[in-house]
Amino acid sequence: MERRMIFQDREEFLAALRNLAREGVPQERIQVETPFHVHEVDEILPPKPAKVKNFALVGAASGTVTGFAFTILTSLSWPLIVGGKPIISLPPFVIIAFALTILFGALSTFFGFLFLARLPSVSGFVPKEEFGNAFVITVEPGETE
Amino acid sequence: MDKPDKLAQVEQDVLAAMKRPGIGYLAALGCSATLFLTLLGLWGYQMTTGMGVSGLMNPVGWGVYITNFVFWVGIAHSGTLISAVLFLFRARFRSSFNRPAEAMTVFALLVAGLFPLIHLGRTWKFYYLFPYPTQRMLWVNFRSPLIWDVFAVSTYLTVSVVFFYVGLIPDFAIARRYKEGLAKRIYGVLSLGWTGTRRQWKNYNQLYLFLAAFATPLVASVHSVVSWDFAMSIIPGWHTTIFAPYFVAGAIFSGTAMVITLVVPMRKILGLDRYITDDHFESIAKILLFTSLIVSYSYVVEFGLAAYSGNPFEMEQFRYRALGDYTVMFWIMVVCNSLIPLTLFVRGLRRNVKYLFVLSLFVNVGMWVERFVIIVSSLARDFDPYAWGTYSPSFVEVGITLGSFGLFFTAYLVFLKTLPVLSITEIKEHL
Repeated sequence: MERRMIFQDREEFLAALRNLAREGVPQERIQVETPFHVHEVDEILPPKPAKVKNFALVGAASGTVTGFAFTILTSLSWPLIVGGKPIISLPPFVIIAFALTILFGALSTFFGFLFLARLPSVSGFVPKEEFGNAFVITVEPGETE
Repeated sequence: MDKPDKLAQVEQDVLAAMKRPGIGYLAALGCSATLFLTLLGLWGYQMTTGMGVSGLMNPVGWGVYITNFVFWVGIAHSGTLISAVLFLFRARFRSSFNRPAEAMTVFALLVAGLFPLIHLGRTWKFYYLFPYPTQRMLWVNFRSPLIWDVFAVSTYLTVSVVFFYVGLIPDFAIARRYKEGLAKRIYGVLSLGWTGTRRQWKNYNQLYLFLAAFATPLVASVHSVVSWDFAMSIIPGWHTTIFAPYFVAGAIFSGTAMVITLVVPMRKILGLDRYITDDHFESIAKILLFTSLIVSYSYVVEFGLAAYSGNPFEMEQFRYRALGDYTVMFWIMVVCNSLIPLTLFVRGLRRNVKYLFVLSLFVNVGMWVERFVIIVSSLARDFDPYAWGTYSPSFVEVGITLGSFGLFFTAYLVFLKTLPVLSITEIKEHL
């Protein structure tokens, strides 16, 4: 059966979590809900490395490539000399590529977060039970139970 | 008080701002909405009658509309500084200011975005700004600073909105708990179904860190790009290498002043003294003083560069700026931006919130005037004496300028009643 513990006090909550970890309950079975980020939780239950950074990197890199590709290819598609400057004038194109790096990077990180955190979660829009400022540990039943 | 009680107290104190509005609030909202409607009316008049109703003429083709654009983009900057840069530097005092500052960034950018459209005259041709090919497949000229501006400002707006929203997600979940009926559903959807699980917090922290890292270079880049709208030309007084850092410092300076202008009354009216303390104001005042010194230094350097340029047009421009037709504006700028902020060296004045509020109003005026002086005086007197001329704004331009403040304050007042005004989750974490 699912076991749920609700704590008003942060220290009691952390003590209970430490006990569970010491008892050898597998991490996947322990669900935790906290009103704010509690850093000690990550020490007790060391998480897998977060993958959000991959989205940031891929988004930013694709922004840079898009910025240069867009400016260079459109300039080449109708090579019109303006102000005696080269058709491919890299310094101004850097500005466009820079802006798109940030734009794509930020958006990709945001959507990556939504994907990794499984949000939006329709069932969470108006949750059946809310714990307010309490710290909640839910232990899911193991195979032997 | 027990810790759990303290946590609940923070929620109630911050969410108390959302209760039914009083008469003072409605009066303020009415005034700012009226100003905004005035803007719409005058803008409609300008569109139907033509740009002749503004004071723009040869040689001064950029007047208060562009002044307003630069001013409002600048205001936005300190929001990002406070929310992103101070986050990366782990400056604790940021959590008292970051929400109103981020809201200010978004609203200021929305207002700023209006001005190129107003300045276009034929606003219905606004889509010319976007990078798409003509029917003959000729694309936009990416060497033009004006197209850089489109990319810089639209990126800035998008990233600021995402950053603002992401900060709000856990707070929406708190607001959801305090609401009933339809409001509960709306806040529930806005919270994306946030419940504070381990998986959510882990990814959220990473997201916030990366967004702060992405937003930080924007603090320096966006106003640099805006400054290049001027510096890439050959007009005396504009064509100078110091423009980018000079504009960025000015932007942070003016934005910090606007944060003080907004937060001082907010703290008093909403009774948030416990969360926004005099210590916090002192920290903000230090940023104000520091950026004021950079701005003053830039004023001196500009004159120095002109004096040693060996270029008679450049020298004449700076003589004209200080002593010519716009001399009153120039000296208002010096007094408001360079002299009055020096009083912040006195610790007692940095901690005097009323004094800071009054000072911030002077800085707001001073920074608006600075942009006016830079833009108008350079255009009014360029190379050829036959092409000289002066400019003064028409009533349409003055009305639209006041209306832009109306739009900004309307948006801010609506924010106060609809969204959590401080970052509840962050304050709780630091309790």
